Amino acid sequence: MTEPASRWNVTGSLARALTIGGVGIAVALAMGRPAVVVLVAPLLVAGALGVVHRPTREPRVFNGLAHRQLHEGQGTRARLEAMDANDVEHVTRAMAPQPYVAMHPADGTVGQLVGPDHVIEPIEVSPRRWGRRMIGAEKVALTTAWGGYRWGPTSLPGRDVAVLPTRSHYRSGGEAPAPIGLIGAHRSRRDGDGTEFSSIRRFHPGDRLRRINWRVSLRHGNLHVESTRAEEDTAVLLIVDALADFGRSEGVGGAESSLDVSVRAAAALADQYVGGGDRVSLRVLSPGGEYAGYGTGTRHLRRIQIVLSRIRPGIPRDVAIDQIDFRTPAGTVVVVISPMLSESLATATVRLVRRGLPVIVVDPLPPDTTPTAYPDAEEEVASLAWRMRLLDRSHLLARLSAAGCPVVPWNGPRTLEEVLRRLARRGPLPRVGGA
Amino acid sequence: MRGGAWPSVWLMRAVVVVAVLVSLLAGVPEGYQPPAVLVAVLTAGALLAGFRPEHLVLSITLGAVVAWWALQLRGELPAAALVAAAAIIVAHTAATVLGYGPPALPVDPALGILWSLRAAMSWTAALAVWAVGRAYTGHGSPAAFWIAGLAAAVVGAVVAGMAAPLRAEEPRE
Repeated sequence: MTEPASRWNVTGSLARALTIGGVGIAVALAMGRPAVVVLVAPLLVAGALGVVHRPTREPRVFNGLAHRQLHEGQGTRARLEAMDANDVEHVTRAMAPQPYVAMHPADGTVGQLVGPDHVIEPIEVSPRRWGRRMIGAEKVALTTAWGGYRWGPTSLPGRDVAVLPTRSHYRSGGEAPAPIGLIGAHRSRRDGDGTEFSSIRRFHPGDRLRRINWRVSLRHGNLHVESTRAEEDTAVLLIVDALADFGRSEGVGGAESSLDVSVRAAAALADQYVGGGDRVSLRVLSPGGEYAGYGTGTRHLRRIQIVLSRIRPGIPRDVAIDQIDFRTPAGTVVVVISPMLSESLATATVRLVRRGLPVIVVDPLPPDTTPTAYPDAEEEVASLAWRMRLLDRSHLLARLSAAGCPVVPWNGPRTLEEVLRRLARRGPLPRVGGA
Repeated sequence: MRGGAWPSVWLMRAVVVVAVLVSLLAGVPEGYQPPAVLVAVLTAGALLAGFRPEHLVLSITLGAVVAWWALQLRGELPAAALVAAAAIIVAHTAATVLGYGPPALPVDPALGILWSLRAAMSWTAALAVWAVGRAYTGHGSPAAFWIAGLAAAVVGAVVAGMAAPLRAEEPRE
């Protein structure tokens, strides 16, 4: 990435060989000791050859990563290029360990003899958790032949990499309760140009000839056509509760914290709905207030994933959660991904339900979550406080269920399928009063 | 990795310690017995050098070994001197290999082989000096005369090697 300022220095090895060799020869001459010449002759030869291979030019080194964006668990290569490196025989690289970044080799330290083509083997790195990660910072040292001179170790900076949540390529069979758009994959309540069979009815002017069912038309003596359901898109609002992070995170494939589950669930749902042609928006409840408006397509999905990777948990200071305008057009499916440990968010959710929107709460709290307490807090008190919070939470969840808002634990991309089917069946029925 | 270092690094550290001890004790079969205090001090120095290969401590330790031999041997050239010379260059080489990186860096086998060959090649200089010294022992000429000749030959060879370009200079771009 950059070319640091460094210079060649004599190594301890060369200094040792020349010092002992020189002093040994002097002692042998002064004291008349031929055996001392025998003892120090190899050191003198090694030292002399180190000096012979003294460098004649300053090398330039550059490091870089093959990717600027990665998904959790994906890997990339941290490359190092050396220019003007004809004097270099050996290169040592030591990459700084970073939280949630796996390296190969595991400690990020490699040494390698440099061939005539000056190719330096890359270090493989793989971020294990979503977020912004500084990857590739390392120290580099170059050594000449016979170990006489060393350039560095010098520090090379890393690169800020956006680590996006894991991808899931699942396409849900669940239908949206009230699709309202023009295009998409959800079955509409009205007839139109879709593929799913709706009914056989009498021919009306304007019907397409290829829709005529000739068998039924012959039986009845007049023309009948097969009608199909229209297919429409829907709007989906994903609300991610990043007010706090509960539980331990070990990165992808390991233990998940509540925020890990939330972010990965939001990414999976966004992938699922955007892939189905729906308009998806994301609202994060955090100090940063990350937001992505309604949109479709691959670029919009990438934007949502980047927004998710920027999340930093905390309580927003400038806005009251129960006062937030979530910008939900009629018919929008609202998915609230929250452990519901905040009463204000529960209130906001009930308000959305009362507006007649289909709202689903996805619970990301891992079942074995332990309390996060201050280091000097007593364990028993912390445990008791956590149990009280869980009791509050169960009351909130019961209130939400009573208000007509299903609460489901996150169980992979299929989580919402059955819930959405039930909401779609319930949708057309006449309702008396509000919840 | 154990104790913050790879097995190959521990092996190199052991080589440093053993080589220093061998360089000191090589003359025991021929009656050159170093005092126990010196052995203990130099063992401690070698141990420290194994963990700090770039530190001055190995120079001091090997220098003390050479000094002890200088005090023990006057004009004689026993075969033990060859063994001691081999042990000194092995200790120096092992420390050099250790100095290529932090303890978390395992020793590259290719680098180990390269430096083994270099150590063996360097040791042939000791063999040549020893053979010349043995050949001229008892010729009647003053000892200082042929020692000066040997030293001049070694230093001359070294200076000539340093002055002569081994590699063709590549044109600068």
